Amino acid sequence: MVLKNLSDLKNIAVNGPKRKLILAAAQDKDCLAAVIKAWQDGVIEPVLVGDESNIREICDANHFNIDGISVVNEPDIETAVQTSVRLVHNKEGDILMKGKAGTSTILKSVLDKQWGLRSGRLLSHIALFEVEAYSKVFAVTDVAMNIAPKLKEKIAILNNSVSCLNALGYKCPKVAILGAVEMVNENMEATLDAALLSKMNQREQIKNCIIDGPLAFDNAVSYESAIQKGIKSEVAGDTDLLLMPDIEVGNVLYKSLVFFAKAKVASMILGAIVPIVLTSRSDSEQSKYFSVLLAAGATK
Amino acid sequence: MVKCVLESGRKHRIALAWAHNSNSIRSLMQAVKDGFAEALLIGQPEIILDVCKKTAVNPGLLKIIPGYDEDSAIKLAVKLAKNGEADVVMKGMVSTDKYLKAVMDKENGLMLPDAVLSYVCALELPAYHKLLFITDPAVLPYPNLMQKVIITKYASDMAGKFGVNKPKIALIGASEKASPNFHYSADYIQMCQMAKAGEFGDCIMDGPLDIFLACDNKSQQNKGLTTPVDGDADILIFPSLESCNPFYKSLMLFANGKLAGLLRGTTKPVILMSRNETEKSKYYCIALSCLMV
Repeated sequence: MVLKNLSDLKNIAVNGPKRKLILAAAQDKDCLAAVIKAWQDGVIEPVLVGDESNIREICDANHFNIDGISVVNEPDIETAVQTSVRLVHNKEGDILMKGKAGTSTILKSVLDKQWGLRSGRLLSHIALFEVEAYSKVFAVTDVAMNIAPKLKEKIAILNNSVSCLNALGYKCPKVAILGAVEMVNENMEATLDAALLSKMNQREQIKNCIIDGPLAFDNAVSYESAIQKGIKSEVAGDTDLLLMPDIEVGNVLYKSLVFFAKAKVASMILGAIVPIVLTSRSDSEQSKYFSVLLAAGATK
Repeated sequence: MVKCVLESGRKHRIALAWAHNSNSIRSLMQAVKDGFAEALLIGQPEIILDVCKKTAVNPGLLKIIPGYDEDSAIKLAVKLAKNGEADVVMKGMVSTDKYLKAVMDKENGLMLPDAVLSYVCALELPAYHKLLFITDPAVLPYPNLMQKVIITKYASDMAGKFGVNKPKIALIGASEKASPNFHYSADYIQMCQMAKAGEFGDCIMDGPLDIFLACDNKSQQNKGLTTPVDGDADILIFPSLESCNPFYKSLMLFANGKLAGLLRGTTKPVILMSRNETEKSKYYCIALSCLMV
């Protein structure tokens, strides 16, 4: 089952029990809009933790009806975040979402050793893109969390991402390990890692996916490009997931797709005990909504 | 750009090394028909003629020079440019590695003394209000400070040929926050200081900046900070080939981008294109090389 568009996430998210989403520091218009929309879709049961009077002000000003939604009053942002994380830690939430709080504030709480959301796995970021010129949704990892992952971290990032795609219904996603070139080059560590990861997949050390690399971006997403270069690959032109060599490459690609290719995006953090929706001010309201659907759909 | 080249009234002799792929031949033929190029196709004559036949190109309009293997074809193209029998060298169906090796050869190559070889390209994008010059998506894996300074000057120089006389230069990173975690931060800070001291001529430079701050004029508001580049960048300098390469490829495939690029640091223009780049892009590269002669 392959996603053609990000709106397909709704069909996946609507199946199964309603997930409880805790919105930390909920006094943010776009986040509230996204959460309320997903609630109206029947996908989530929100709990809004934050400055209650501010939250209600924003809802009134924007005609958001929050009758029936729990609000936990906590005006101080840091305390709101801690309260939210504790709720999830105590199994009173299935998804954590960042509202009007800084990313570092959220991550600090998430990583708290006593009442945080650690699972023992590496945290990583996954983004799903929909662009007109590609026939299906494709995922990219990791454009926001891990700065310069070594092989060990790349394996963890891959396992997180593949599990996420499996949860969305992809039995065996095709994974391209991105390099600037398709040949393994001893001076380019990304290409060496790509070769190792491909081999590990062949030996079933990394499961539930098909991995090939190194592949340059055009060969990963364009069948014609791959043919022209004489590349024989099961993944080329049909990629579901792209692994980035490091955060710069990922971040640049993410932003260029959003700004120049008008891509639609959904993203979340993987590797904690629950999915975490960590969108930024520059993400559109639509992207925040899709991210909520993604988190709900990928929660088992 | 094509207009500028035609206005010059000159015909430039383009030596196409290992001329076996159809879109290189066709793009060159378009330039010949448009009147600013003469084609010298180096490769196995039977294969060249076969490709011409299959793509409806009249072989009478071009000159075929026999070259029986990739290496000798590339060396011959470079030699022709070196001794003045050709004005521009163009990559055909050969690997970038072999091509660059011949261009960079100390004795027989086309390098300017002590020059840094790099690649600059101009992108035309529907979603952007002007041409965007970027570097380096093809040659330098991890430019150090000195190399970053040089490639910035190459990009400025190319932008100047298109009439951009006070370029806005964005030094690209994952975020606008300078940090020891990002190896390029220190270089960028130094470059900005150098720019203030006039090292790059008349320009506006800022960095590190992310793509949004460089190209989206709403981004300053969103992020609550100011940059003189303000979403109006002419030139983007990338920290690595690994980040620049997928950037431009994603724009070509998903954002209807058109490009014209050229190697810099050479005595004669050298066209470097990926074998799977479109015919139109190759044509623009040929036009650009003629502009830069």
